[in-house]
Amino acid sequence: MSKKKKEIKSEEKLIEELKAALGPQLEEAYIKRPRRIHLKVKPGAHRKAVEYMRDNWDLWHVSTITGVDLGENIEVIFHLWRFKEPQTAIMVRTYVPKSNPKLETITDILPSSNFYEREVHDLLGVVFEGHPNLERLILPEDWPEGVYPLRKDWQPTQE
Amino acid sequence: MGLLSKLVKWARTKSPWILHLNTGGCNACDIEILAALMPRFDVERFGIILMGSPRHADVLVCTGPITKQMKPRFRKLYEQVPDPKFVMAVGNCACTGGVFKGCYGVEGGIDTAVPVDVYVPGCPPKPEAIIDGVAKLLAKLQKS
Amino acid sequence: MDVKPRIGYVHRGIEKALENRTYIQGAFLVERVCGICSNAHQCTFMMATEEAGGIEVSEKANFIRTIVAELERIHSHLLWLGAAGLEIGFETLFMYVWRDREVVMDLLEAISGNRVNYAMNILGGVRRDISPELADKIRKGLDYLEERTNYYKKLCLEESTVRKRTEGVGVLDPVTGVKLGAVGPTIRASGVKFDVRKNDPHLKYDEADFELITWDTCDTFGRVVVRVLETIESIKIIRWCLDHMPKKGDIMPEKLIRRVPEGEAYARFEAQRGELIYYVKSNGTDKPYRVKIRTPTMANILSVAELLKGCYIADLPIALASIDPCFSCEDRITFIDIEKEKTWTWTREELRRYSREFNEKEKRW
Repeated sequence: MSKKKKEIKSEEKLIEELKAALGPQLEEAYIKRPRRIHLKVKPGAHRKAVEYMRDNWDLWHVSTITGVDLGENIEVIFHLWRFKEPQTAIMVRTYVPKSNPKLETITDILPSSNFYEREVHDLLGVVFEGHPNLERLILPEDWPEGVYPLRKDWQPTQE
Repeated sequence: MGLLSKLVKWARTKSPWILHLNTGGCNACDIEILAALMPRFDVERFGIILMGSPRHADVLVCTGPITKQMKPRFRKLYEQVPDPKFVMAVGNCACTGGVFKGCYGVEGGIDTAVPVDVYVPGCPPKPEAIIDGVAKLLAKLQKS
Repeated sequence: MDVKPRIGYVHRGIEKALENRTYIQGAFLVERVCGICSNAHQCTFMMATEEAGGIEVSEKANFIRTIVAELERIHSHLLWLGAAGLEIGFETLFMYVWRDREVVMDLLEAISGNRVNYAMNILGGVRRDISPELADKIRKGLDYLEERTNYYKKLCLEESTVRKRTEGVGVLDPVTGVKLGAVGPTIRASGVKFDVRKNDPHLKYDEADFELITWDTCDTFGRVVVRVLETIESIKIIRWCLDHMPKKGDIMPEKLIRRVPEGEAYARFEAQRGELIYYVKSNGTDKPYRVKIRTPTMANILSVAELLKGCYIADLPIALASIDPCFSCEDRITFIDIEKEKTWTWTREELRRYSREFNEKEKRW
């Protein structure tokens, strides 16, 4: 039990560091369980958060990027993993309005996010500005433009 | 029937060459097909050899539902197989679309794209079932 | 040589389909994301859902999940070793390994009733128990496998046929590997200690006694060795689990769980090919609101482009195979694997930014 407490303590320290660096742009930060940090940042601040983590924590591993359709907004979650002690998974979430889904890319900061951004763009229509090659990745070639299968207002036609 | 065509038919039934193709399946059927070719089940004793090119194949062994992206390529590949061609659909998805029915990337079973001769259901079918399918196909070849 | 991955040939739209299916139906659909790591997918989906909804899993169920996961790892690694043997033209190895792999397949069939898609997990537990008699059978099977795997270990380390074809092929240095987000044996063969089983223990891995295998040659040879050594570690883990598994206890909740309380969670799992990720958002109904799947091969594509840099075309098959690409797993999207057609598919389209950096030494196609 004492080990668990200690782990959480060091994760709290990480959050404090982030709070100091990001200030009011960090909307929410909590530890869900050991090795799971959840962060919510203002749209646009995700770059700053990720850059801070890379420069100060040597964090390179992007596990994946998830897009969730929340109705008015599209939530974009960056799942990161910190190799160094204390090892922990960090979820940086931000949101973009569905009417104008534009977000700055993080490929220049963390190159491994390249394919994940393309995937989110394909399936949810989030445009990552500054991405070097935001082409169709996984949808079929004859898929109509502007149709995003993972949005809630799209349903597959039943055959 | 001329002597030559008799010879060709004899060769085909004694040693059908197959091309294994995944049209969008989950690999499970694929590893079972390979397992059927391996020492334990050994379909090679029927003279069946796995080929790398459609131009050398008599039988197309397909697994998985057919995806939208794959369909035109699959047709192209099917056209490359010399006549007469035979198609074996291995697995539930290849037969009907299976669990993937209704997914937006999936068209349905193999028979939505090309005519199928033998269906082997199962998810995945056991190697024994695949061998049974092969035996049925050989009987069909004999009749053709 | 120049590499431009084009994926999407096996994209079926599973993530959308999951939103329209209940958790119980979904469990059997995710299993078919990939048939080789079917249990890994199902187990991770269940782990993520359980965490999102705060569902308890019994101790015994966790042991059984670990055993099945490790048996599956053995089956997959042996399958890979055989396929690698085929790629380097060492067909005897191919046939030998696949013959021995049938032992694992029999064990998995004895546990679950099916050779490939096991359907072992449900919310809150597993569907089938391991009886003491079955445990003895597994132990016997493991003894045989251990003997054979040790033989393959010796073979891979000493046999010059293997060494000559794999040493120095497909080099991925650790710094680039980490930057490009490589996972699993691919990155462990570059000497990076990245294994979810150790870094972020799930199931019973925090208690089980095993070593994190790394190798520092950074090439295909390293990946062969890492997989063979990991197979031996897996055997150790299964033995430990069988010894420590509680004799009594439920393996699943009494009442089938249909509705999952609102919540979100993301689960990481060390599948055979590396870190597998499921993100589940539930909304209190019997269907998930959103499920995100990230398969290990997806994470490894960028590294493949890097490690193929400067390869001979003749080495392409083995270098490509060295990451154990799962052509359907692959985030439900991928290169189609039609023997020789493989290379052809690879060269077709674009990944400009990465390909530009490569020397265009050879362009025979």
